[in-house]
Amino acid sequence: MSRRRVRNILRKEWVLLFTDVNSALVVTLLPFLVAGQGILYIWLVFRFGSEAMLTTPVFQTALQKLAEAMPAVTQLAGAEQILVLLLNQFTFFLLLIPTVVAISVATFSIVDEKLSGSLEALLTTPVKTWELLLGKALAGAIPAVATTWVSAGVFLLVISGLGWGDLRVFVVTGGWFLTLFLLTPAVALLSFMLGVAGSSRAKDARSAQNTVLVIILPVLALIGIEITGVLWFTPLLIFMVSLVAGVADFVSLRIAVRLFQRESILVRWR
Amino acid sequence: MVAIETSGLSRYFGKTAAVEDLTLEVQTGEVLGLLGPNGAGKTTTVRMLAGMIAPTKGYAIVAGHRTDRDVEQLHEVIGMLTETPGFYNRLSAKRNLEYFAGFYSSIDSPSRQVEEYLRLMGLWERCDDKVGTFSRGMKHRLALARALMHDPQVLFLDEPTAGLDPEAAAEVRKMIRRLGEQGHTILLCTHNLTEAETLCSRIAVLHTRLLALDAPDQLRRRFFRRQLIVQLEASNAQVAQTTRKLPFVQEVREQGAELMIELTDPEHNRPELVKAIVEAGGRVLAVSEKQYPLEEVYLRLLHEETGNES
Repeated sequence: MSRRRVRNILRKEWVLLFTDVNSALVVTLLPFLVAGQGILYIWLVFRFGSEAMLTTPVFQTALQKLAEAMPAVTQLAGAEQILVLLLNQFTFFLLLIPTVVAISVATFSIVDEKLSGSLEALLTTPVKTWELLLGKALAGAIPAVATTWVSAGVFLLVISGLGWGDLRVFVVTGGWFLTLFLLTPAVALLSFMLGVAGSSRAKDARSAQNTVLVIILPVLALIGIEITGVLWFTPLLIFMVSLVAGVADFVSLRIAVRLFQRESILVRWR
Repeated sequence: MVAIETSGLSRYFGKTAAVEDLTLEVQTGEVLGLLGPNGAGKTTTVRMLAGMIAPTKGYAIVAGHRTDRDVEQLHEVIGMLTETPGFYNRLSAKRNLEYFAGFYSSIDSPSRQVEEYLRLMGLWERCDDKVGTFSRGMKHRLALARALMHDPQVLFLDEPTAGLDPEAAAEVRKMIRRLGEQGHTILLCTHNLTEAETLCSRIAVLHTRLLALDAPDQLRRRFFRRQLIVQLEASNAQVAQTTRKLPFVQEVREQGAELMIELTDPEHNRPELVKAIVEAGGRVLAVSEKQYPLEEVYLRLLHEETGNES
């Protein structure tokens, strides 16, 4: 029964998502904008900043970590090593896509229902809180993950188009696949779960958005760690981070269920 | 069989009592009206009975389920029409109902069930139209279909005709009457006293506490003695005098050609009274019982309560 109810929520949320022009654009276009921005950043840095980066201590450390992880990189010229470093960093940059989509879509998921009055009717049905929250989180996370994958594909096509195709071997690694197919879904679900939880606690759409903005911080932290070379994300480390994110998904669902107080939603929201 | 039972049901918000010590029983198939001014605790009561908020004290059992413990099972067997019929405006009527139907284990085929209830509510022709294009009356009918489609044992209707035009309100009332006749137990919250009187077998007047619970006629008798109105062809002092002398007559007042008569037992004394009036030369055009509007009873109950408070 739970599976049927979650599927039911998914179907309804998707119809609503893709019949609303703004939400549909956020889900379908925003990922490409994020990916495009990333590619532009790499191109600009490679074109105008790679020489300076080679002499910057932070990037020297990062390059050292890169060489330890992929010894073949040392065969490349210095500027190309910088390019490989940037292209690898882009993988984590992709994690911004589900978090940004979550901020835009998930934050309104409960608030909107409350404001339209449909939540009260929904809460008189036998739906369990966890079914409702999971359904709503998955409804956002699944398209966000799918578009992240499409963006990753577009990214590979673009780097070939820019003449960097021979560097793909340093980008499409085990870590790349783990990031895309393990870490991205886990982070996406976590972002949407936190988004829905924030939405359920907020009194209006604006405060929901403010609450949910914090979910972007862990992703920015991961990007920062990688860019500064503090840590090199090996496949094992990515697997571990994915595992932690998976556990966080489960914990966040439990927390979201506890935070979702049907009573205060009905009584205090006017 | 008891469909709704509450015992000492109370709900406080901070130190403020919304509902206090509510004890009542509603029989299966009964339509009970819940009356009270704004803020009297009607919606809080309904929400407690529907397992949506927990009582601070006391308990309620609805359709055999404790409302604070067996919430999921309870929601399978109750239907609720909320004051605002919230729907997803961008979805069609059919898709809206199918969504809500998908949560009930008792509904195997949501689309078939939805079709049946959309037809019942006269909305099948508009089933593919977005709910955002519906009038308020249509949304109310759709909400009623939503509350009914899983064939609930107990129905909670919160202001079902509020904001509707007279025609739509009459239509909704007709449906409620039909549901009552079909044996659904209904708790009807309303401000409309005429609606309560026409639809409900008993009425509960709530003002944080339960002020009264009885059939409309019984409530009237708490404040007003029964009076017969005898309409004569013309004013006749002789008839009035004769009537006053009858042993079962308590009081007679003359108002033009009408006599207002209080009897000890109106059902039994009526034929003798008419006979006596005719014998005294009175020409009787009509005999009826004075109907005090329920509004007067309601207002008196509330004044009594506020008088006690002050």
